[in-house]
Amino acid sequence: MRGMTTDESPGTLSGVRVLDLTDERAIYGSKQLADLGADVIRVEPPEGDPLRRRGPFATDGAGNPHSLYYAFYGSNRRSVVLDLESDEGRAQLRRLALASDVVVDTGRLASAGIDVAALIEEQPALVVVSVSSFGSGGPWADYLTTDLVTGALGGLVATTGDVDTQPLNTYGELNFVTTGAYAAIGALAALRHARETGEGQLVELAAHEAIPSCLEHVLMWAWHHEALPIAESNVLPRRGSVHWSDVYAVMQARGGSIMVTVTPDPAAQLAWLMEKGAEEDLLDPKYHDLLQPRLLTMRMMEVLRDWVAEQAVEELFFEAQGRHFPYGWVLSPERVAASPQLEDRGWWADYEVGDTTVRGPGAPYRLEGTPVASTRRLSAPGTDTAALLDEIGWAG
Amino acid sequence: MARPLDGVRVLDFTHVLAGPFATRILADLGADVVKVVSEARPGNTPVTSYFQMWNRNKRSLALDMSTNRGREIARSLAERADVVIENFSPGVLDRWGMGYAAVAAVNPGVIYVQMSGMGDSGPWRDFVSFAPTVHALSGLTYLTGMPGREDIGIGSSFNDHQAGLHGATVVLAALESRRRSGRGQRVDFAQYELGVALTGPALLDYFANGQSQQPAGNQHRFELAAPHDTYPCAGDDRWVAIAVMTEDHWSRFRTALGDPEWAQDSRFATAADRLEHADELDRQISEWTRALDAYELQARLQAAGVPAGVVQTGADLVHRDPQLAASGYFTTTEDSGAYAAPTPVDRLPLHFSKTPVEQYRAPRAVGADNVVVLDEWLAMPEEDVHAEEAGGTLR
Repeated sequence: MRGMTTDESPGTLSGVRVLDLTDERAIYGSKQLADLGADVIRVEPPEGDPLRRRGPFATDGAGNPHSLYYAFYGSNRRSVVLDLESDEGRAQLRRLALASDVVVDTGRLASAGIDVAALIEEQPALVVVSVSSFGSGGPWADYLTTDLVTGALGGLVATTGDVDTQPLNTYGELNFVTTGAYAAIGALAALRHARETGEGQLVELAAHEAIPSCLEHVLMWAWHHEALPIAESNVLPRRGSVHWSDVYAVMQARGGSIMVTVTPDPAAQLAWLMEKGAEEDLLDPKYHDLLQPRLLTMRMMEVLRDWVAEQAVEELFFEAQGRHFPYGWVLSPERVAASPQLEDRGWWADYEVGDTTVRGPGAPYRLEGTPVASTRRLSAPGTDTAALLDEIGWAG
Repeated sequence: MARPLDGVRVLDFTHVLAGPFATRILADLGADVVKVVSEARPGNTPVTSYFQMWNRNKRSLALDMSTNRGREIARSLAERADVVIENFSPGVLDRWGMGYAAVAAVNPGVIYVQMSGMGDSGPWRDFVSFAPTVHALSGLTYLTGMPGREDIGIGSSFNDHQAGLHGATVVLAALESRRRSGRGQRVDFAQYELGVALTGPALLDYFANGQSQQPAGNQHRFELAAPHDTYPCAGDDRWVAIAVMTEDHWSRFRTALGDPEWAQDSRFATAADRLEHADELDRQISEWTRALDAYELQARLQAAGVPAGVVQTGADLVHRDPQLAASGYFTTTEDSGAYAAPTPVDRLPLHFSKTPVEQYRAPRAVGADNVVVLDEWLAMPEEDVHAEEAGGTLR
């Protein structure tokens, strides 16, 4: 399969050693570094990482449950179990940090009494990425967060939901995906500087600051609403699937739902409706005022809603795409799993979970020179403890 | 002061949001991002507020790519670039004579990132997409919303931002790989595959267990947690999110409520009980929250040790959030660029102790950097640049 490789090929980040001290807030960042081929070492407590207890689960041949959350977020790591309640465990953690290129942490160093500045003084090329909920100062520094609370305070929850629902969080923990993605960027940017100059550093990131940068129209509304012909105030209330531009919306078709838009070519969309005899009153000159193009596009969205309701969803989707209209069929996970596009591109990966192999998501990018491996292996807690202690010269 | 990507040259053909957000991050980090724009394509210029949001810290080179001379200059620039990045449909750069093979033949170290909708192969290769399209096809729209509703989904172009973040990540990773091997590479980045990957645990659940997950409102997807929702507060459309993740949180939450009789009911004894009776639980909590100010409630619950936060709007973030204000998260550009005055910006959320990212320059007028960029990248004399401008290539 094109773009796939065996585990023997060098990864993009071969030779980069990462100590992974993240919880759910930034584990997506260390996941990316692991998928890109870095040697990522995850430290777990003697009872195992609490994230291993998150669902959903798969049951292996011996009847043991395995976390699929953890298979997705925690694979391709070496696992070391350390007892950070003990002086020895904390000393081992410190030694592991000093033997790394990058440490990604959500507070474990501080709770083990390890001072980051002293670490970097001892190993000047070390990069430490420190991820917190709200930052190290300010009135909310000690607040607790979860993905829902991060999305609420960060502004994403307010955009999602409909006029007749409460504000909604996105599927899963996508606010922490954003946070983790920034953590990976911080790690790799600081690593480049360290490679070029020998100078490591501390990189700090707050989940609360990650979210507002990824809100598309929201800050544009807050800052530039007076310049936007379609903004009535500095806040656009949630309104289901209707995009801020008004010209994308999910509509009900026969047999399913479909995201319909008149962009990027309303004239071609109108021609299609005319071809089908479905243009209703769209040719009325009142909709064709060159100074007010939205009169046409807004009416076209109404006409489309009626027309789409009569169409079979699958045929409509493929006909629209055949005409280069960016319609999108609303698909469930079951249908996504059957995508001919993903199959043809050999996109899926194999997740080794206990003694079974489960198909799951491949990488979000295809590096043709240093492909991401197509296997994700989930290590049992402590699998690599002895080897790692040996590598850092720990004479137990 | 040094920035992490000093000396990295990026030739930027991106437009709309996904690609420009990737190059915004690279530019913030100190890369020399040269954005190729043209008065012939006014949608991708500073006249729109949308462009204004995503194109700070980049230099502006005006190049009419419909002309042979324009493409010739672009090819020369690609020879000297560390990174070439675009988010067209597949095939556009090939038609300009600057596909990966052509560029790599003269610049083997180039990192060449193509952020198309579907990727450069497969039966859907030529499908066109914006973020709402990708959300629909990937399962993100289906999974985000209320049970029985397929018409909610994420209320902004989330996947475009993710594409930008992942695009920047893959550029940085490829730079590290090149440092070791001396070789660049092409990256075929499908925004659709990214969207699908973001539903990871749901897909694994399907393949392992045959479970096709359903929309579930604000219910936690990976743990038993209740109450776990947004609740109405006093005022017009004000809400607070409350996330009781543990029995300790529940005990603290009950205390904060004043331990009313209903909360002692056995139907609410454990997380599983509370989930089973979530409708009644949420109704009781809403009765309590409805009379209270959202920010006061947040402070009260946080003081009690319960994760809670106001559902903040963009106006709240900019004008009210004391935490963002304390960290100086919002600032204005140091210059006016293409505009009459400096423009507001949200800072890159990464705080580097040795290479701080503190330069924020406004998006530039079309072609404002023609002379300096063509001098630095191609050693083109200024009079030649002006001749090309007059001739219509650099516009």
